[in-house]
Amino acid sequence: MATKNIELVATPRAPHFVGDGFRVHNFIPSGFRLDMERMSPFIMLDYNSKYNFPPSIVPKGVGVHPHRGFETVTIAYKGKVAHHDSAGGGGIIGEGDVQWMTAASGVLHKEYHEEEFSKTGGIFQMVQLWVNLPAKDKMSQPKYQAIANAEMGRYELADNAGFVEVIAGDYKKVKGPASTFTPVNMQNAKLNSGGKADFSFPAHYNTALLVIEGSVKVNDTEIVPTDHFVLFENAGEDFTIEALENAIVLVLSGEPINEPIFAHGPFVMNTREEIIQAFDDVNLGKFGYLED
Amino acid sequence: MTNVSISFTEYLQTKAGITDEQLLQLNDAIQSKTIEKGSVLLRQGEICSHSFFLEKGLLRSYTIDAAGKEHIIQFASESWIISDRSSIFFNEPSDFYIDAVEDSTLILIDQNFINLACEISVSFRLFNDRALQNHIRHLQKRINLLLGASAEERYLDFIKLYPDMLLRAPQWMIASYLGITPESLSRVRKELAKRNFKPY
Repeated sequence: MATKNIELVATPRAPHFVGDGFRVHNFIPSGFRLDMERMSPFIMLDYNSKYNFPPSIVPKGVGVHPHRGFETVTIAYKGKVAHHDSAGGGGIIGEGDVQWMTAASGVLHKEYHEEEFSKTGGIFQMVQLWVNLPAKDKMSQPKYQAIANAEMGRYELADNAGFVEVIAGDYKKVKGPASTFTPVNMQNAKLNSGGKADFSFPAHYNTALLVIEGSVKVNDTEIVPTDHFVLFENAGEDFTIEALENAIVLVLSGEPINEPIFAHGPFVMNTREEIIQAFDDVNLGKFGYLED
Repeated sequence: MTNVSISFTEYLQTKAGITDEQLLQLNDAIQSKTIEKGSVLLRQGEICSHSFFLEKGLLRSYTIDAAGKEHIIQFASESWIISDRSSIFFNEPSDFYIDAVEDSTLILIDQNFINLACEISVSFRLFNDRALQNHIRHLQKRINLLLGASAEERYLDFIKLYPDMLLRAPQWMIASYLGITPESLSRVRKELAKRNFKPY
């Protein structure tokens, strides 16, 4: 098997606020050479790097907004998020947990800092990803997968190197609990200083890393600091990550969905007509109703 | 979403039949401006000197009544033009405010530009006349709806004209445009959701 080489390392862009509760660096799709087509099925990645939110009586967050045509995946590294939707669903995403929401045909939802976290304030660190859906599944039924940290697959690395937490896909036959519509690997490599892990994904999968904590060396050559994003070439299968200090790395690899993308705001469909339909449907209450 | 962001020159060429050559003549009279959310472009009592073409962003025109309440007359997003036509034409103080609901990029259109464009292009003159007639048509329809239509009928007409406004402007602004309270708007939307939403 051949080595999968690094195509580029992206530094975090200037942060912007989503609502008043998420201070994010966008990597996908606004990053250089990180557009939706290149990164499919990962069509959006907002990264709230460690940020200290002061205590707030009124929870900060994002008000009611719709989604259609894809899945949102929220990975909470620090802090807690509460969410509600127009079908009466809701819950809390705690530290280390993941919420995998299949918006598909459409939901209205809102996301806020969880009440207790908001009152005390503190360090908040989170990733939100949008995972595209194939055309045939875009109008399927919305659903949630609340994935608690304890339910994730866990592969212990030899020599006290740390472990790999599997949210989706598999790592050395350890499977992640998330069910996906197309092949998606989403894993956290939690490495002790000096620990090393090797990964292998098909050459044509779009593959990337986000260094959440610490700094790492990739393929024994490239040093990647905290909060940086790595895109691999679509050639070769194997790469290694070595922790230069205690490190957490989000590993993403998925089969590209080779279909036209027509995206506008919170909708990601295949054609312009489908986007116009999405606006009509929201306006006519077909996504339900949710109080702000 | 019906509003695709296009440049003013593209707009003049595709909608008003301005040629490349005419564009060169008009270029000096085209002035662009970038403003932040909340910036005020026109205040009540001022004489309106420009119309504003939106390349990107969202503006609104409104009045403030004796009790201090805002009443929104019009929204303008990508490819729309907003102004106080009568203040410009009759050179009289405006009753309206115009400000930015979002950070916006706009083109300032003054009477010199209109005069010059009408002089050099017959198709622009026809286009400009039609725009005025269309404006009057909208105003008449709006008066009629405000006088006689139910809150739901007004809302249904609004979303046809402004398909993406619900995702861009706060609810209270939309309620103000519709001449209803935010609570009534909420009721209308809940009622529609009750009829149209099939929960999973």
